[in-house]
Amino acid sequence: MATAGTEGLIAIGAGLAVGLAGLGSGLAEKDIGAAAVGAITENPSLFGRAMIFTVLPETIVIFGLVIAIMAIFVM
Amino acid sequence: MFKRSGTGNYAYMSARVKAKTSKLLKEEDYNKMLMMSVPEISHYISEAGYSKEMNDLGTRHAGIDLLEYATYMNMSKQFRSILESANGELKTMIAAYLTKWDFENLKVVLRGKNYGLTPDMIREDLVIAGSLKEDDIERIISAPSIEDALAIFKSKTGLSVSDEAIHLYKEENVLTRIEDELSIGYYKSVLDSITGKDRATNIFRTYIKYVIDLKNIETIMKFKMENVDGSLAADFFIPGGAQLTDKIFAQANAAPTIEAAFNELQSLKVFEELKTMLSQTPNISLLILTMERFRLKMAIQVSHTYPLSVLPVVVYMIMKEDEVKKIRTIAHGINSGLDRDTIKNLLVI
Repeated sequence: MATAGTEGLIAIGAGLAVGLAGLGSGLAEKDIGAAAVGAITENPSLFGRAMIFTVLPETIVIFGLVIAIMAIFVM
Repeated sequence: MFKRSGTGNYAYMSARVKAKTSKLLKEEDYNKMLMMSVPEISHYISEAGYSKEMNDLGTRHAGIDLLEYATYMNMSKQFRSILESANGELKTMIAAYLTKWDFENLKVVLRGKNYGLTPDMIREDLVIAGSLKEDDIERIISAPSIEDALAIFKSKTGLSVSDEAIHLYKEENVLTRIEDELSIGYYKSVLDSITGKDRATNIFRTYIKYVIDLKNIETIMKFKMENVDGSLAADFFIPGGAQLTDKIFAQANAAPTIEAAFNELQSLKVFEELKTMLSQTPNISLLILTMERFRLKMAIQVSHTYPLSVLPVVVYMIMKEDEVKKIRTIAHGINSGLDRDTIKNLLVI
C-alpha cells in the first residue's frame, strides 16, 4: 500500500508521463501539420492522408497515458 | 538531413512546392505536344493547369500570343503565391532570387523607353514574377526618364547603377553598361541574402555561384564567337563565381581562338558539358542550351535532398521556368514550321 508521500510522487510521475508525451507530440505535429496544410492547399484531395499523418504522433500521448494509468492504478 | 535551416515556414512551403512540382508537365507531355498544332497545344495546356489564364486572356489574344501570355501569367502567379506564402529568412532568399524577374522587367522597360515604345506595348512583354508589385512597375513604366526609372528601381530593390553608366547612356544611347551593372548587382544581392551556414543553404549558394560561372562563360564565348577584342570583356565579368576567377576569365578572353579559350576553362566543373558542345559547331544558342541543361541537371540532383530548406522551393521555380520555356519553344518551333526532331533538340529534356 502506497503511503501519502509515495502517492504524491506517483501522481507527479503520472502527470509528467502525460505532459512530456504531449509536449513531444506537439513538437512532432508542428511541422507535420504545417506540411499537411501546405499539401491540402495545393491538392484538397490529400486531406484524408494528411490528417492521418498529422495525428500519427498522437500515439506517443497514448503511451504516456497508459504509463500514467498504470502508475496510478497498478503501482 | 531534416534539420531546419534558419527561420521560415519550411515544412509548409516544402509540402506546397512538392505538390506543385508533381503537377508539372512530364517528358511524355512534351512528346505529345510535339505532334500537335498551336491551337491543340493551347487546348492541351489548358487541361494541364493553365486553364484560368487561357480563359482570362482568350478574349484579348489568340494563337501563339495567347499561349505566350498565358504561360508567363501562370508562372508569375505561381511565383508570387510562393513569395507571399513564405516568411522569415526563407522569404528573403526567395525574394532575392526572384529579383531576377524585376531586373528582366526593368531591362524590358528601359529598352522599350529607349526605342520609344508605348507603355501598353512595354506592359505586354513584362513578366510580373519578381518581388516588385504591379504599382511599382507601373511607376517605373510611367517615369519620365531612364534616370527616374532607375531611381525608383533602386528605392525598391536596392540595385543601382553608377553615374558613369548613366553618362554613357546619355552620350552614346547604349544601355549595355547599365544592364551589366544591374546584372552584377543582382548576383551580389542574391549571394548577400543567403546568410545561412547549414548544408542546404550552402548548396543554394553554390548553385548561384555556378550560375555566375555560366554567365561569365557565356560572355567569354560570345566575345570569341563574334571575334570581339577580349580586352574589352573585363567590364562584363560578374564576380562571386564558384570556380571561374577573374584571372581565368582574363586568360580565356586573351586566347586567340575559341578552342584556346575552351582550354583555359579545363579546370572548371562545367567543362565536361562544354566539351560535347565543342565537338559540334559552337554557336550562341547551342551554348545557352548546354548551359541550361547543366543548370537544370544541378538543380534536379539536389531536388530530393534537404526537404526542410530553400532547395525544394528554388528547384520548383527553376523547373517551372523550364516548363514555360519548353512550351514556348515547342509552340514557336511548330509555328515556324520546324521539323519535330529539330524542336526536340532545342528542348532541355
